[in-house]
Amino acid sequence: MSALQTFLLVADHDKQEAKQIAERIAHDVENKKTTLIEVVQSLGEYINDEDPILRGKAVSYLTAVIKALPPKFLTRQQIQVLTAFFCDRIEDGGAVAGLETLQKLDRFNKALAEEVAQAIFGRFQELQSRSQSQRFQVYQLLNELMLNHRDALHEMGDESLVGIVDLMTGEKDPRNLMLVFSILKVVMVEWDISNHAEVLFDSVYNYFPITFRPPPNDPYGITAQDLKDRLQDCIASNSQFAPHSVPSLLDKLDSTSPNVKKDALNALIACIHAYNADVVSTYSITIWDALKFEILNAQEEFLSELSLQVLRDIAARLSEGVTEISDQLPLAQYLRPITRECNDQLREPQQKQAKPAQQILSSTSAASAVSFTLVVRTMVAPLLTFYQEADGIAKQRALLETLVVLFDSAIKVFGEWKSSDPEPTMENPLLEFKDQFSEIFGQALMGVIKEEVSFRTSALKGLLRLSTLRNYFQDNEIGLFVQYLDEILLKEESIGRDDLKKEAINALAVISKHTPRLIMDITFPAFVATLPETDDGNGPNYITTLESLAQISIEKDIFETLVRRLLSKLTVLLQKEQPGSAEYPRALLLTILYVMNQRDMSKDPNLDLYYDRIVVTLCRSAAATASGKATNNILADATVLDILGRLSNLIVRSLPRSKQDEVAENTYTLFASAEDFSPVPFAPSTSDSHERTMILSTYLLAGLPADTAKLPHTHPNMSALLTDITNRSITSSESGEPATHLAFLRHSALLVNKFLPKADLNLATDTVFTLLHQITEQQTPHTTGTIKAAFWLTKALVLRLAPKTTDLLTSLLSLLSSPSPQTSTTASRSFSILLSDDDILSPTNGATIRLLSKQRVFTTLVPLISTRIRDVNITNNTTPNQQNPDHIKPAHLTALSGLLSTISPKLVTPELPTLLPLLLQSLDLRTADSDSLAVRAATLETLAVIIRDNGVSVIEECGHVQSLVTRLLNTTTTNNNNSPRLRADAVKCLALLAAGQHSHADAPAVARAGKLSPLLPVKNQVLRALRFVLDDPKRDVRKAAVDARAAWLRGVDDAPEEED
Amino acid sequence: MTTEIQNSNPTILSDADLPTRLRPTEAAKSSAYGSGLFASTLSFPGDSVDPASQYLSAESESEGDDLLEEPIDEQEIYDLISTISDPEHPISLGALAVVSLPDISIKPTLSNVPDSPLRTVTVLITPTITHCSLATVIGLGVRVRLEQSLPSRFRMDVRIKEGTHSTADEVNKQLADKERVAAALENGTLMGVIAKMLETCQ
Repeated sequence: MSALQTFLLVADHDKQEAKQIAERIAHDVENKKTTLIEVVQSLGEYINDEDPILRGKAVSYLTAVIKALPPKFLTRQQIQVLTAFFCDRIEDGGAVAGLETLQKLDRFNKALAEEVAQAIFGRFQELQSRSQSQRFQVYQLLNELMLNHRDALHEMGDESLVGIVDLMTGEKDPRNLMLVFSILKVVMVEWDISNHAEVLFDSVYNYFPITFRPPPNDPYGITAQDLKDRLQDCIASNSQFAPHSVPSLLDKLDSTSPNVKKDALNALIACIHAYNADVVSTYSITIWDALKFEILNAQEEFLSELSLQVLRDIAARLSEGVTEISDQLPLAQYLRPITRECNDQLREPQQKQAKPAQQILSSTSAASAVSFTLVVRTMVAPLLTFYQEADGIAKQRALLETLVVLFDSAIKVFGEWKSSDPEPTMENPLLEFKDQFSEIFGQALMGVIKEEVSFRTSALKGLLRLSTLRNYFQDNEIGLFVQYLDEILLKEESIGRDDLKKEAINALAVISKHTPRLIMDITFPAFVATLPETDDGNGPNYITTLESLAQISIEKDIFETLVRRLLSKLTVLLQKEQPGSAEYPRALLLTILYVMNQRDMSKDPNLDLYYDRIVVTLCRSAAATASGKATNNILADATVLDILGRLSNLIVRSLPRSKQDEVAENTYTLFASAEDFSPVPFAPSTSDSHERTMILSTYLLAGLPADTAKLPHTHPNMSALLTDITNRSITSSESGEPATHLAFLRHSALLVNKFLPKADLNLATDTVFTLLHQITEQQTPHTTGTIKAAFWLTKALVLRLAPKTTDLLTSLLSLLSSPSPQTSTTASRSFSILLSDDDILSPTNGATIRLLSKQRVFTTLVPLISTRIRDVNITNNTTPNQQNPDHIKPAHLTALSGLLSTISPKLVTPELPTLLPLLLQSLDLRTADSDSLAVRAATLETLAVIIRDNGVSVIEECGHVQSLVTRLLNTTTTNNNNSPRLRADAVKCLALLAAGQHSHADAPAVARAGKLSPLLPVKNQVLRALRFVLDDPKRDVRKAAVDARAAWLRGVDDAPEEED
Repeated sequence: MTTEIQNSNPTILSDADLPTRLRPTEAAKSSAYGSGLFASTLSFPGDSVDPASQYLSAESESEGDDLLEEPIDEQEIYDLISTISDPEHPISLGALAVVSLPDISIKPTLSNVPDSPLRTVTVLITPTITHCSLATVIGLGVRVRLEQSLPSRFRMDVRIKEGTHSTADEVNKQLADKERVAAALENGTLMGVIAKMLETCQ
């Protein structure tokens, strides 16, 4: 059997084998064992066979052999003969592939390329009746010719153009179209198309709009967008298409489908970018006439935005190369009807279409400096006239806003402040109106009655834009504006929501970033001058002033000046014998804290100065105050100490290590000498004001690095210090002040969590167990204080996931079952301590908070609480007994709510089946004290999050819809001791239940067909009960009820009516 | 059901100029650390320095404020209906001035029985143009919203403001006739339009 025969046999089922046969023959040809002529001759009996498949295979054989030959083997003559042979047989399978191989060879020339092209155009008249893959092969060959022999095709001119168009007409497969569009684009861009523009345009425009939707799991990965992009490139490829493309695309705007309109607008934008400017000019007014309607009567916002972009892009194209402005410019002619229309619409600036008219002005004027100048020249004068003639402030306001729109465009075109972008050479046309604008906007801001807030706000925004605009307002003009703002902030009473004052502050903050000098010279002195020497009892006006100062002190110079001025005010206050109330010095410190919080203090060059003046000096003064050696008692106030502590903490954190060591040594001495002040730890006797300095010590400690070695009383270990602080926290719980008590608790927790070495952790654990023992054996006179101390120490330990975490938690939980109601209640309330975020024991302060600690606490405690409550429920049902007094169940529920309020809802969801029954019981809690209110409030908050995140389905899965709804409704009534907040929260939970349903309704109808809402059985009950809530005495509750009823009416569908 | 837009360019009031209720500012219950900027930005623990103290504060705060009754007033009615959208434009009835605060009144239904809790709400509607055929639909929308949102002791009286509509009497008769209102609400298409109007209610 010959090689050919074998090839014909295996060609279908073993491609690899076939290829090897061909390679073998090619090898023989190469080694002159046989000749190419013999190979061709061997085909003889098959290529004339009647069976096209057999013919195809025979031709493929030749192709395969040629493919396997080295590229330079064939002579020019051989190529010629083979090309002629393949062209002759082009309709047979394999010939196209053979030609593709041949045309890649170096010796393949232009004339041959033309011959091939003619064969393709001449012989494939019925191409579209062939299979997709065959068509693809032909396009592929054509594409290769385009790449390798474009000259040949180009010289064929109209012949190739018409040939290609005829060839692809009727093509529908997306894979082929991708190729066809890119072939056609070459023709469109490079051929002379003047005789066939319309034919060529139609050949692609027939496919507009693309409605192709790829099948699921499409292996070819062609999207509708890919096709749209290529088609759009074709449409935009040649200006000669404009007479056909522009009208056709504008026609498509009549379509009812927003997507078709969107494609048409996008294609139009592409055309405007690509066509010659004079072509764009020819159609500019036609396009405007068509788009006007789209913008003025916008149906979809994105269509109006695209239309506005078209208008702007036309203006930008027509501005190209324009250096001198005249009325004869194509741009001027284009803008004329546009400005005329806007002018008409803006005569009634409050009407609906005034807004789109503003947008049109905004887009066209922002296109270029020329465009801006033309718009300003035609629009500003009439706008000013309308303003003068306007018969009401609301109308004037709308006109001011229109001007502000133009100012925004000016900023886009000419830049802002002292920006370094190159400036347009053209002069800003607004300059000629500068005096008028100053007058009108100044008058609008300051010259009308103070209550016209929205009008004045518009004026303020306008002046801010003009100040921002590059090279527009001089410094003295901005200065005048700044004075207006100062006056508004300092002299005017507040009105309503104080919107104007808020805008004024924002404006000053913006100005202070760019021209800090004006703020320093004008605003700063004016504001500081209103600060009193002492709190003179005239009300806290200084708070507003300080807030304003804090917000404008962003820029470095202003910040430094502010801190210096406030510190000297404070220093003066500290030396006065009659300093007034402590609120003022506290506000001063608070302002400094606020501005320092806004900056990165570790990079501040003046950090050392702040350390000296604030941390060292003021802490020392506080120590002196505590020893009774100060002129006044400002620094004995707990809240002042708290702010000073926070401020010191912030500074200490930023200090270099050496200074931090210095702070560590002075944590308890507070930088005072031994004879002036004795530290609180280990002091034999203390007073309230002495103990209060622990607030400062705690903040200083919190700011120190965890590995500091200089902390006093920590060698050989901190056992003694810890015991002392813990004992003081216990005794101060009753006799001391709350702030001092908290400072002790935090101090001990901080020591254990951050500074206690791992090896010494048993010191703390043992302390907790000792305390718990004292409580259960009633060995301590200070039960409450001891419980608190135990919880804070446990908090410190569990956050770092110390060993025995589970033991500690279990022991704390057993306090709840104490026979003493007081112990049980106090402990139950304290569970919220464990996981609540704390300002001192925080990540910012470097506390050790392990990622899984919260989860660990929660998953340890919840099952225990659940089991205990179930036990109590069972035993109480059978026999009321002494072991389970009444307070135990509420205590456990309180503890649970304390935990829930301090952990993220994400952790709650997995525990839902256990948790939900407990939450429902919490809603039933009706103990007399206020605990039940807090518990129920926390429960409702948790429920709200659960419902919002998971919808009603999770509750349905647990089978609790009815019982939940009933309990929620019980909580909405005004009896049962339900506070307004509880009532509103319960109603909101109900609303959330139904709101989740609503989003279900968006699901495809098939998905929910036949499935009734799980809420349907309770719908009537809820609607009826909520009707009463509509009459609640509290407005917030009523509002929530209105929303909830709307959600249920809208979201919970009734069962479909039975259809016969 | 909508064919041609009847008034394509109505006057619109700016949001900032619509009447709103001024909530008593938080200043009333400012904490020890001031009320405004500082307190909010720095997340001060304020009074609740001790997390366990929420039980105590919940008790103290619940008393004073909560006893104060806030009766339903005109502003509340306005807030209920001003966010309904116009069937022609995606613009609220408030912004179009179709409903306005001075045109809402609440009066005792039985003026000779002072203790009666019954109240009548009167809402006068001002159509944007005098021949607006959608006036009835707007009136129905307002009615439906009020019926869904007010307690049962309130009676609704929704009417076209005098002199603002060419067939005001006809429309008023329709809106006042319970049977006709009920019949209208059975109409699926009409209810669809009204549901769409009410979707924007906040």
